[in-house]
Amino acid sequence: MWKKVFLMTLKVALVGCGKIADGHVEEIQKLPNRARVVAVCDLEILMAEQMATRYRIPTYYDSYQQMLERERPDVVHITTPPQSHLPLARLALDAGCHIYVEKPLAPNHRDAVALVDAVASAGRKMTIGYTYLFDPPALEMRAAIESGVLGKVIHVESWCGYSLAGQFGAAILGDPTHWVHALPGKLFHNNIDHLLNKLTEFIPDDEPRIDAHAWRRHPVQFGDIRDEMQDELRVTLVGNGTSAYATFSSHVKPAAHFVRVYGEKNIMHVDYVSRSVTLEPGATLPSSIGRLVPAFGQALQFLRAGGRNGMAFVRGDFHFFSGLNRLISMFYDSILTDAPLPIPTRDILRVSLWMDRIFANIGAGRGRP
Amino acid sequence: MKKVLITGATGFLGGSLVERLLAHGERNLRITVRPGSRRERVLAAAAKYPDAQVEFVEANLIAAKDAARAVDGVDVVYHLAASLRGAPADMFLNTVVASKYLLEAIGTRKPMRVVLVSSFSVYGVAELGRGAVVDEQTPLETHPEKRDMYGQVKLRQEALLREYAAKNGFELVILRPGVIHGPGGSAFSSRVGLDLFGVFLHLGGKNLLPLTFVDNCCDAIVLAGQAPEAAGQVYNVHDDDLPTCAEYLEAYRREVKAIRHIRVPYPALAVLSRVLDRYHAWSKGQLPAIFTPYKSATTWGGNRFDNSKLKRLGWKQAIPTADGLQRTFAWLRAST
Repeated sequence: MWKKVFLMTLKVALVGCGKIADGHVEEIQKLPNRARVVAVCDLEILMAEQMATRYRIPTYYDSYQQMLERERPDVVHITTPPQSHLPLARLALDAGCHIYVEKPLAPNHRDAVALVDAVASAGRKMTIGYTYLFDPPALEMRAAIESGVLGKVIHVESWCGYSLAGQFGAAILGDPTHWVHALPGKLFHNNIDHLLNKLTEFIPDDEPRIDAHAWRRHPVQFGDIRDEMQDELRVTLVGNGTSAYATFSSHVKPAAHFVRVYGEKNIMHVDYVSRSVTLEPGATLPSSIGRLVPAFGQALQFLRAGGRNGMAFVRGDFHFFSGLNRLISMFYDSILTDAPLPIPTRDILRVSLWMDRIFANIGAGRGRP
Repeated sequence: MKKVLITGATGFLGGSLVERLLAHGERNLRITVRPGSRRERVLAAAAKYPDAQVEFVEANLIAAKDAARAVDGVDVVYHLAASLRGAPADMFLNTVVASKYLLEAIGTRKPMRVVLVSSFSVYGVAELGRGAVVDEQTPLETHPEKRDMYGQVKLRQEALLREYAAKNGFELVILRPGVIHGPGGSAFSSRVGLDLFGVFLHLGGKNLLPLTFVDNCCDAIVLAGQAPEAAGQVYNVHDDDLPTCAEYLEAYRREVKAIRHIRVPYPALAVLSRVLDRYHAWSKGQLPAIFTPYKSATTWGGNRFDNSKLKRLGWKQAIPTADGLQRTFAWLRAST
C-alpha cells in the first residue's frame, strides 16, 4: 500500500478559476507525491489562461466537456458558483472522476441530495470545502475532547464574523448581478456552511429544532437587490442532548471566528483567528485568591498556544490554508488507499438541510426582534 | 458632435480626465459607472461647462449588454477602468476580462479610437541592468509570472487590446504612465518603499521617480485621443525634473508628516530578496513572496526615463513638477 500511494499520482483538473481556485491549486501543488494539476477550465478562457500562467499548469480550457475527455482526470475540483455544482458534478462523475466541491454544495437541500446520490451511483468519492474542520485548532480541540477534559458536551457556540469591506464583500456589494444575490440565502448562503459544519460533531440529530432571526444592518444605498441583503444572522439549534448558538455577523468587529464548547467539566474556547485552544478558568481556590489566580492560568494557556504556533512557524508548517491542505490530503488518501472520507456524507447533507431550514425560517419575515 | 466614452471616470485618474477633456473642448461625454458609485466629482467638473452633455451609463463591464450600451454611438473610448488591488482572479476579471467585453462590444465599429491607459509596469526591466533608459522601445516583460499581479494584468490587457485592434481595425493608442500623483491619489508608490507593520522601508534611494502629476497625465491622455498621428502608437507618460525617491520621501516628511523609515540600500535588498525567496520556497509559501530578486530588480533596480516621444506628439507639461508636488502634499496634509 505504501508503494501504491507514492507511485501513483492523481491527475487533478479544476473548473472555475475564481479567487478560491488559487488556494486549491497552491495546496495541491504542495502534494507532488499524491497529485498534480493537469488542467484548469473556466467559461471565460482568459480566466483559465491567467490561472494556468501563474501556476504553470500545462493546459487550460473553456470547454469543461473537452477538458474531461482530453485530460481524463482522476479528480475534479469544482470551484464555481454553487448554482452550477450539480450539473458539473454529474459530468465529472460520468467521466469517472472523484469530486471536490466547494461549499455550499448546492442552492438547496434537494440538489445536495441529488448530488450525493449521483456520487453514490457512480461509485466515486466526494468531499466539500469544510476546511476549518481540519485547521490546527480544530484538530487540537478534538484531541482535547477525546482526552475527556470537557466531559459530556452540553452546548456549543459557533461564531463567524464577516467583513463586507473585504475583497469578497466588496465584490458582492459592488455588483447587483453577483451570483451570491441569486442564492436563496444570499450572503448567508455562501458563508454559513463554516458556521454550521462545526456543530455537526456535537449535534448528532438529523433535524434539530431550529430558530433563526436575520436582518440587514448595512445602509440602504443602492436602490436595488443589494439593499435587501441581510447581513446579521442568529440561529438556535436544539438537538437531543446538545444545543447550539450560531452567529454570523457582518458588523461586529473584529471579525471573530471561534467555537466555544460547553461541557460538564470545562468550557473550551477554540479560536481560528489566533489558532489557540484554551479552557475558561474556574475559581478553584477560595476567596479573593480564587479571583487572582485564574488570569495567570489563562495567560499561561495563551503563552503555550503562541509558543506552539511559533514553533510551527519556525518549522515552516504554519500556513494560512492549513485546513485546506489537510482536507485535500485526506481526500486524496481516501481515493488512493480507500481510507475513510475526511467528511462524512451524512454531515454534508445535514448542513445543507439545516441551511434550508434557516433560510425558510428567516424568509418568513423573521427579522430583528 | 464627437462623443467620447470614459471608463473608470469615478476613480482618481478618471475624475481628473473628465475635467481635462472638458477643458480641451470635448462636450459630449458618456461615463460608465457602477451602480452606487460616487458621481460628485464628475458632476462638479461638468457644472463648469453648462454647454457640455455628460451622460452616465450604469454598467458592469463584465456584462455584454452593459458594454454594448456603453459603446453605442461613441467615437473615442478612454479606457481607464482597472483593478488596482484585490485577489489576483478579481483583478484579472475586472481589468482584462472587462476589457474583452468592451472590445467585443466595439467590434468593427468605425470611426473608433481606443485610448488605453496602461502602465510602466509592462516593461521587462529586471534584466536590463541598473540605470537603463526606459522608453517605448524597451522590451515588454517576458516573465509575467515573476511579477506582481498588477504588472501581469496590465501586460495581458495591453496584449488583448493590440489583438483586437489588429483584428477589428480600430485605432489604438496606448499610454504608459509612470507614477501618477495628485489630490486624491496615494502618498507613496512602491518605487519609493513599502509600509511594513508601521515602519516605512525606504527602498528606492536615489532612483529616479517617474512622477506625472495627474493633470499633466490627463493632458497626455486627451492628446492621445485627439491627435490623428497618435493612432497605433505607444507613449510613456512622465513629467520633467523628476525627483529621486529619497528627495520625494524627504519632501513628504517635510511637507506632510514625519514618518518613521528605514533606508534599505539596494545591495542589502538584493540579498534580502534572495533570502526571502528561498524561505518562501522552503516554507511552501508560509510568507508571501513580497520580495524576490526579480521583483526587486524590476521595482528598485533603478532606471532612467525618456518622455521625448510624447513631447514630439505635442504634449507640454502644464503643471511644473514642483507645483504638482506642492498640490499633492497639500492634499495629503489636509487628509492626514
